[in-house]
Amino acid sequence: MAGLDERIIDTIDLETFLLSETEEEARQNMKAIMEQHGFDDIDIVFAEKHGMGTRIRARAYIYRPGVKYDWLKEPGLI
Amino acid sequence: MQVNQKRILLSPLDPVHDVGLRMLKKQLDERGHETILLSTDLDNSEIIAQGLYNQVDVVLLSRSIGYGVSELLSDFIDLAEASGLREKAKIAIGGRAIKPELAAELGFDAVFGPHSDMEEAIAFVEGRNYEPFHSHNQTVQKKDILAGHNYDFHLSEIEKLLQQIVDMLLRNVEGQTSPAVERARIREEMFNRCRQNGDDVSFNDRGDMAHLWKEYFKFCEEGIIKSYKNGVFPLGIRSVTSAEINSLEELLVGYDQDDVFPRLANFQLPMVWIQFGTGCPTLDVVHIKTSESWGAEGVIHIDSSKGARMEGLMEGYLAQQGDGSLITAHNFRLLKRVLGRNTKFLVRAHRGLNSPETVLTGALAGADYTKLNIFYGSLHGGTDPERLVVDTVESIKLAAKYNLPFDIPANDELSGVATAKSFAGILIMLALGVRLGAKPILKPLFCYSPDIMLKGYMENNYVDYNAAKVAALQKIVDAPVWAGEPVGFMTHEEDRAQSCISTALHAAMAKSLGIRYLTIASSDEAYAGGPISVPSKIDTLRSVAEAFRFLGDCKINPTQQLELYTEKLIEDIRDILKNAVDTQDFLQALYNGVFGEKSEGASPGINGRNTVFKGGI
Repeated sequence: MAGLDERIIDTIDLETFLLSETEEEARQNMKAIMEQHGFDDIDIVFAEKHGMGTRIRARAYIYRPGVKYDWLKEPGLI
Repeated sequence: MQVNQKRILLSPLDPVHDVGLRMLKKQLDERGHETILLSTDLDNSEIIAQGLYNQVDVVLLSRSIGYGVSELLSDFIDLAEASGLREKAKIAIGGRAIKPELAAELGFDAVFGPHSDMEEAIAFVEGRNYEPFHSHNQTVQKKDILAGHNYDFHLSEIEKLLQQIVDMLLRNVEGQTSPAVERARIREEMFNRCRQNGDDVSFNDRGDMAHLWKEYFKFCEEGIIKSYKNGVFPLGIRSVTSAEINSLEELLVGYDQDDVFPRLANFQLPMVWIQFGTGCPTLDVVHIKTSESWGAEGVIHIDSSKGARMEGLMEGYLAQQGDGSLITAHNFRLLKRVLGRNTKFLVRAHRGLNSPETVLTGALAGADYTKLNIFYGSLHGGTDPERLVVDTVESIKLAAKYNLPFDIPANDELSGVATAKSFAGILIMLALGVRLGAKPILKPLFCYSPDIMLKGYMENNYVDYNAAKVAALQKIVDAPVWAGEPVGFMTHEEDRAQSCISTALHAAMAKSLGIRYLTIASSDEAYAGGPISVPSKIDTLRSVAEAFRFLGDCKINPTQQLELYTEKLIEDIRDILKNAVDTQDFLQALYNGVFGEKSEGASPGINGRNTVFKGGI
C-alpha cells in the first residue's frame, strides 16, 4: 500500500453484511476479504449475527501507536 | 427447578472488575451455587492456586482490556494444565476483549463474547443446553394503531368545514370514472374468477378471460400492453427469472427466523416500520428479512416513480435500476410470502395512475395497510388532481371493502407547503375516508421541512414543532396518528453516525409522545447516489433500539413553544378549510392553490390529465 499509506493516519475500516450460518463463519470470511485486499494487521471490530447473516466491521491497522508513520515524512502535515 | 450445586471461582484478568462477572456471581448465588469472586489484578498462578485450594468445579474468567490477551490466556491454560486444575475444573472465559476463535483454539471449555447472554454462562455452569432468547416468541403485544379511536371530532367548527368539503369533493367525482378505476374493476373480476379456481391471474392462462384482458388493455398505455403480449418491458425493466426466485426461496430456507435482535421487540410502543424499495424484488426480500432480524415490525413498499406514471400494471417478478420497486401482483405476493408471521406490510397507492389497482393488488396479496392522499399525489406526485380525486375515491372504497386501513402522509416534507395546508389536506382525507367506511390514519411528518426552515420553527430544537403537529391533530380529532416518514426527514446527512442519531432521536420523540407506529428509513436517507444498503438499515434499527433503551418510560419535555405552535396550527388549518369551502368546488380549491401554491412548491400534476370520463363511480 505504498504511497496511499502516507495519507492514512491509523486504520481502514471495512464494513458490510455477510450471508452466514454462524458469526464465526462471517468472521473468517471477513478476515479473508481483508487479506485479499492486502491487509495483514487486521481485526474484527464488531460482528453480530441474526437471521440470515452477520453485520460485521473489520479493521486494518496501517499504523499501530508508536511505529514509524509514513505520513510524518511530509513536512508540515501535522 | 432442581439445580446441581457447583462451586465456582470467578476471576477478572484485568486491573479492574468486569461488571459482567459480578452480575454473573449474583445470578449464580441466587440459583444456589457457591461462588468465590477473586480480587482484581492477580497473577495467573494466584488464580490457579485459589482454584485448586477451593476445589472448584468451574472457573469463570473475564478480560475486558485488549492488550496482551493472547499471551495472557495462553499462559493461563499452560499453568492450569501443569498444575492439574485443567483436569479438575471446567474453564471458561468471557469479556469484551475475548476473541472466540483464539480462546477456543487455546482449549477453553467455553467462550462468551460481548453479546453473549448471561443465561448462556449459567447453562454452561449447570451443564445443560443453552436455549437462546427468541424475541418473536416472547415479544410484548404491540398496540394496534386503530384500537380505541372513534374518529370523533373535538372541534365542531372544523368538523363542519370538513364535511362541507367532503360533500364538494364527492360532487366532483359523481358520475365520473377513469382508466385506473376501470382497470381495477376488470382486475377484480379476473381475481374473483381465478380465486374460484384457486389460480393466480396471469395473461398466459387467459382462457375464458381473454375478453377481460382485451377490456383491460383498452385502458392501458402501449408499453404496458407490449409487456403482456410480447414480453417486452419498458427500458430499464427486466423480468427476474424463475431460477432466481427459486434460488432466493432456497436461501430463505433453513435459517432461524426467530433469531431476532431482541431490543426493539421488548418495547410496547411504538411499532417500528422501515421502508424498502431497492428496485429488485429479490434484493427487497433480503432487505426485508434482514430488517426483521434486527427488529423491524412493519415494512413499507416504496414504489417506483416510473411505474406511477404508467397507465396499467405489468405482471411478473420485475426489477429495475431506478427509484423504488415496481408494483406487480407477483412482486407483492413474493414479498408477502417471505414476511415473518408478525411483520406487517404496507403498500403505497398515494400517487400515480394506478391507485385503485394498487390497493386491490395489495389487498389480494395480503397487505395490511395502504397509503392514500390526493393532496400529496396531485400537488407533489405529478398526477392530475381531477384524475387522482376520482381514483382516490375508488381506492378508498376498495380499501374499505378489503378492510385495508390507509395512512394519509402529510405533504410538507419536500415542498415549501406550510404544515397547516398539508394538515388541512390530511384531515379532509380523514373525513372522506370515514365517510366512505374506511379506516384512515393520520401521518404527520417528523421532518425539517422547507417551510419550517424558512419560518424558523426549529431553530432552537426539533421537538416543539413536531410535538405541536401531533398535539394539533389530537386536539381536532380522535384518530390514530402514525409518525412519518421517515422520521427525521431532511435532518439527515450522509454521515452514518449523524443520520442514525437523528433518526433515533426522532423515534424516541415519537415514543415519548405515546405514538403507536413510526416509520424509519435508514442512515442512507440523505444519500442520493443509489439504493439504501443492508448495513445502513441494520445500523439505523440498532440506533433506534438504543434510543428506546435510553429513554425507557421517561418523557421528552417540550418548551412553552409547544402550546403556541399548536394553537397557531389549529387556527391556520381552520382558515384554510374556510378558504376551501368558499370556493364551492373542491377541485377548484385544489387547482387554485388553497392547499399549496406553485410558489410553495405545490404544482398540480399533469399525468393523467383529461383522462376522466363519464362512467359513474
